[in-house]
Amino acid sequence: MATKKLRRAKLSQELCERLSRYQITTCQDFLCLSLLELMKVTGESYRNVQKLLRKVSLACAPKMQTAYEMKVRRSINPSAAFLPTSLHSLDKVLHGGIPCGSLTELTSPPGCGKTQFCITMSVLATLPVSMGGLDGAVIYIDTESAFSAERLIEIAGNRFPTYFDSDEKLFCMTRSIHLYRELTCDSVLKRIKSLEEEIISKKIKLIIIDSVASVVRKEFDTKLQGNLAERSNFLARGASLLKYVAEEFSIPELRDHSCQRKKLFFRHKISRGQTNFSYLDESDYHIVEQWPRDPSRPSVSSS
Amino acid sequence: MQRDVGSLPLSPALRARLLAAGFQTAQELLETGPCGLSKEIGISREEALEALQVVRQECAGDAAKTAGGSGSTRKCTALELLEEEQTQGFIITFCSALDNILGGGVQLTKITEICGAPGVGKTQLCMQLAVDVQIPECFGGVAGEAVFIDTEGSFMVDRAADIATACVRHCQLIAEAHQEEDHLQALETFSLESILSHIYYFRCRDYIELLAQVYLLPDFLSEHSKVRLVVIDGIAFPFRHDFEDLSLRTRLLNGLAQQLIIIANDHKSAVVLTNQMTTRFGQNQSMLVPALGESWGHAATVRLIFHWDNTQRLATLYKSPSQKESTIPYNITPQGFRDVQPPPVTQNAEGTEMNPRKRPRREEEK
Repeated sequence: MATKKLRRAKLSQELCERLSRYQITTCQDFLCLSLLELMKVTGESYRNVQKLLRKVSLACAPKMQTAYEMKVRRSINPSAAFLPTSLHSLDKVLHGGIPCGSLTELTSPPGCGKTQFCITMSVLATLPVSMGGLDGAVIYIDTESAFSAERLIEIAGNRFPTYFDSDEKLFCMTRSIHLYRELTCDSVLKRIKSLEEEIISKKIKLIIIDSVASVVRKEFDTKLQGNLAERSNFLARGASLLKYVAEEFSIPELRDHSCQRKKLFFRHKISRGQTNFSYLDESDYHIVEQWPRDPSRPSVSSS
Repeated sequence: MQRDVGSLPLSPALRARLLAAGFQTAQELLETGPCGLSKEIGISREEALEALQVVRQECAGDAAKTAGGSGSTRKCTALELLEEEQTQGFIITFCSALDNILGGGVQLTKITEICGAPGVGKTQLCMQLAVDVQIPECFGGVAGEAVFIDTEGSFMVDRAADIATACVRHCQLIAEAHQEEDHLQALETFSLESILSHIYYFRCRDYIELLAQVYLLPDFLSEHSKVRLVVIDGIAFPFRHDFEDLSLRTRLLNGLAQQLIIIANDHKSAVVLTNQMTTRFGQNQSMLVPALGESWGHAATVRLIFHWDNTQRLATLYKSPSQKESTIPYNITPQGFRDVQPPPVTQNAEGTEMNPRKRPRREEEK
């Protein structure tokens, strides 16, 4: 929306030409100027400049919806609202499963089963809606090369023996899981940017990134001064892109982190008795909305 | 009338021409008339007429100001302000401890900022307030509507529905206990559907959409005059990444703060912002401070910081012009934002200076 050209914001042709002489071509350039600067570049009076501001804002502003409309839309298609994880107590705590349309983060010390969980979710997403799946394809962005296709087939065959009774069905399932191996932050970001087209062409219903922390840890050493800002930049940009994609296409997305038992300065949510420090710090966590919490924890909130 | 031509809000080119032609005061312009003006300066008659209309409007506005009337000057005595403040409602948060340290709840016409680490309950409080602002007046609310501007995508409709249901249930219990006519009447229109349909939701994906939305907000609020709460959930998120030019960011944020103050005052609504925390590295320790820098700290009138103490959530009133700094614990329950159990001892009406329109607190039922 920010890069929308002023021409499409319904400003007059001559005004657009005049503004382009000052290198103001997009709505972003226009809205970042103060009123006096706008008067100078457009040559209009105060009142007219305010009218122009309103016109350009109308072109950029989001559409209004009431919370009731949102609820109605979700309830029309209840199966599309969540992806059940097939772990009943987890689904109960999460109010149905992994919510579609938002970002979910999974974090734990190494060896707890995050990648196994991701592989299981991939299988679940390819199942038909009647079995609790999303009947669609999966994009799996693997940064640690931890994905094993054999394990995928093993899980599918053992978990749903009645459904995957033939090799044909298994291969059909594996064909709909698209694996991308990305080993640098840059390539991960590029992959995320290209997601929009892939989702439409391949009918993707689930996106998994396993894991975010490994690429970040490899490239950004927080002891060096400028790196913290750059790292936050990368994470925030990736997260906002993912959120946009998730909401646009109503897709659940899973991101993995690995924890280390090192004492870093930032304290993460602790489970009773143990202290697990997540590698990414608290300010990075603003980016995601929810993560599956330990069902045995006393405070339960369905936020 | 003696206003200098250079100070009139005309387009710069026109102003330059007028000054070059020798016009000095607004009075001269009005005496010349549109035809004379167009001939002298070499502009079309329509442009001249438009300019004269602007001048006339400006002079009329000036005259009103010097005569000392009309609300555009916002002049009043402190006594009038006191009376206004005492009759003004608060938006309660359903956590009586928090309401107490805020002096009754979230105040209208002021900007309240909520800072905190992720997961501590900022969005929960925002959703709770969006529901609480709609509580009818006979139950002690302000009977308004809410605008929810979401930049992080953390608004969950199902959660808002849960909170709204709990709120309606709470009011129903009060109505059953008191059995008054206006309570039952108010309850007829206070339902889950009506609450959710009066929360106006905007999803802004980047800072340009946020700026555009805030420019359009005064028009929206004039159309929907019952709005009493504007929530911007995540004012920091769009500004924190990808901003190389920090001075532009400061300028945009200050402009935003100014507009929000004007909106809060003109439309008598409360503005609630949520901010993130960032890490500041000291000598050999680091601490969490609110994001967006020191200058942003001046934008909000009231500042609340939410933080953790082991497993207990705490809220600290960090900045307030009328209440003292204090810290209280709170809980997030399936019903929403609440006190910690057991609730504080309910006091008699005479013992505390309470807003006379507030209904007496009842024990929380789980």
